[in-house]
Amino acid sequence: MPALLRKRLGEVLRSLAPLLALVALLQLLVVRAPAAEFAQFLAGAVLVALGMVLLLAGIDLGILPMGRYIGAELPRRGSALLIVLSAFALGFATTAAEPDVLVLAAQAQAAARGALSAQALTWLIAAGVGACAALALLRIVLGFPLRLLLAAAYALVLALSLAAPAGFVPLAYDAGSVTTGVLSAPVLLALALGLSAVLAGRSPASDGFGVLGFASAGPIVAVLLLGLLAG
Amino acid sequence: MSAAAVLAEALATARSVLVAVLPLVAFFLAMQALFLRLPAKEVWRMLAGAALAALGLFLFLLGVEVAFLPFGRLAGQALGALPGAWPLIAAGVALGFVTARAEPAVAILAGEVENASGGSIRAPLVLAAVCAGVALLVGVGMARIVFAIPLLYVLVPGYVAVLVLLWLSKGEFAAIAVDAGGVATGPLANTFLLALALGASSAAGGRDPLTHGLGLVALIALAPMLSLMALGALLRRKELRKEA
Repeated sequence: MPALLRKRLGEVLRSLAPLLALVALLQLLVVRAPAAEFAQFLAGAVLVALGMVLLLAGIDLGILPMGRYIGAELPRRGSALLIVLSAFALGFATTAAEPDVLVLAAQAQAAARGALSAQALTWLIAAGVGACAALALLRIVLGFPLRLLLAAAYALVLALSLAAPAGFVPLAYDAGSVTTGVLSAPVLLALALGLSAVLAGRSPASDGFGVLGFASAGPIVAVLLLGLLAG
Repeated sequence: MSAAAVLAEALATARSVLVAVLPLVAFFLAMQALFLRLPAKEVWRMLAGAALAALGLFLFLLGVEVAFLPFGRLAGQALGALPGAWPLIAAGVALGFVTARAEPAVAILAGEVENASGGSIRAPLVLAAVCAGVALLVGVGMARIVFAIPLLYVLVPGYVAVLVLLWLSKGEFAAIAVDAGGVATGPLANTFLLALALGASSAAGGRDPLTHGLGLVALIALAPMLSLMALGALLRRKELRKEA
């Protein structure tokens, strides 16, 4: 365990060093924030580094194996319905619980002038993520080409962006980024990788990826559709 | 920042971490009870890992709020007040690169890509492509603030390019690229770069920071899709040429 943390500490310091160096340079040359404010930045940066070490170690030790076990177990049950339901449940639950989604839903409700309650919108976004995650896993099971699915999703996103009222567009794309919490991203990823590792004729390298990206198209479409209906 | 403010922030962060972790753990425990039936030792090890991840996420998010949110705003205001657009755009490019490099979910994705591909796609290559893409589009995002360019003028050509590159790129790169688009918009980018953009657009003056500062997240999500798919397309051309 200490060896694992020490290895992570090295990685974290290497990944944070360029950011911290650049911030220090900006502080010296341009920003010149008061000493107290810069001290607050430094204290926060220590928290960030420490948190990243524990987070990455914990994801390796707990979160990724959980996702992999679930992803490898689901196809053994021989039921596509179970896979689809699990993906939907996981996508829905992790999104509906995300606090960012509630903040976003409140903004969208204001833009839609109360056409939909913030709570209903939260469920709509979560259902968009769940449905897309389920569809993306079903694609792995059925062997449907990912390219076609992605092309259809982005063509729909483009068409709706041009048609929806302008106020909803930035909001919709922001909603797309909520699917990818630091914890839900590795779980969905591990689920897809586990699934494609045990299915015959699939390989994790070519079939395991794409679920996260596809899932983030769900809420974009959901919010743009809301805009069309409200506008 | 006062002690009371830090405490309130800590409570809100703790709550958001709990609601992020609990559904995952509950789902896993349900699977364990119904189907998995793993040995208790293995289950405890994973639960300990999840607890460690939750504690780490709490410290990380709290640190981001305390350090990067206020400093991002100050930096955005200071850069936006400088004469000319170039200091802000250059700082956006540089900060976009180093922020993507520091984003934990990007590192996790790069590691999983290297694992799943058996080492044939190296993690540093994925990292470099993601960082380069984010750097470029944060630069574009800053230019958008200075010159008041509507978001759709950037997003529509961007997604059209994604649709084209999807067919030109190697299949696994296209899939990795869309996932990278998801993870690049992590907590660090969402607070630090967004605060930078909001600060810059308030310094630029006369513009509604809500419509001009927002939308940067959409550009950051688009960035790695473009850069990784472009890399995939280059690699495919090279392969085709070798075969010919």
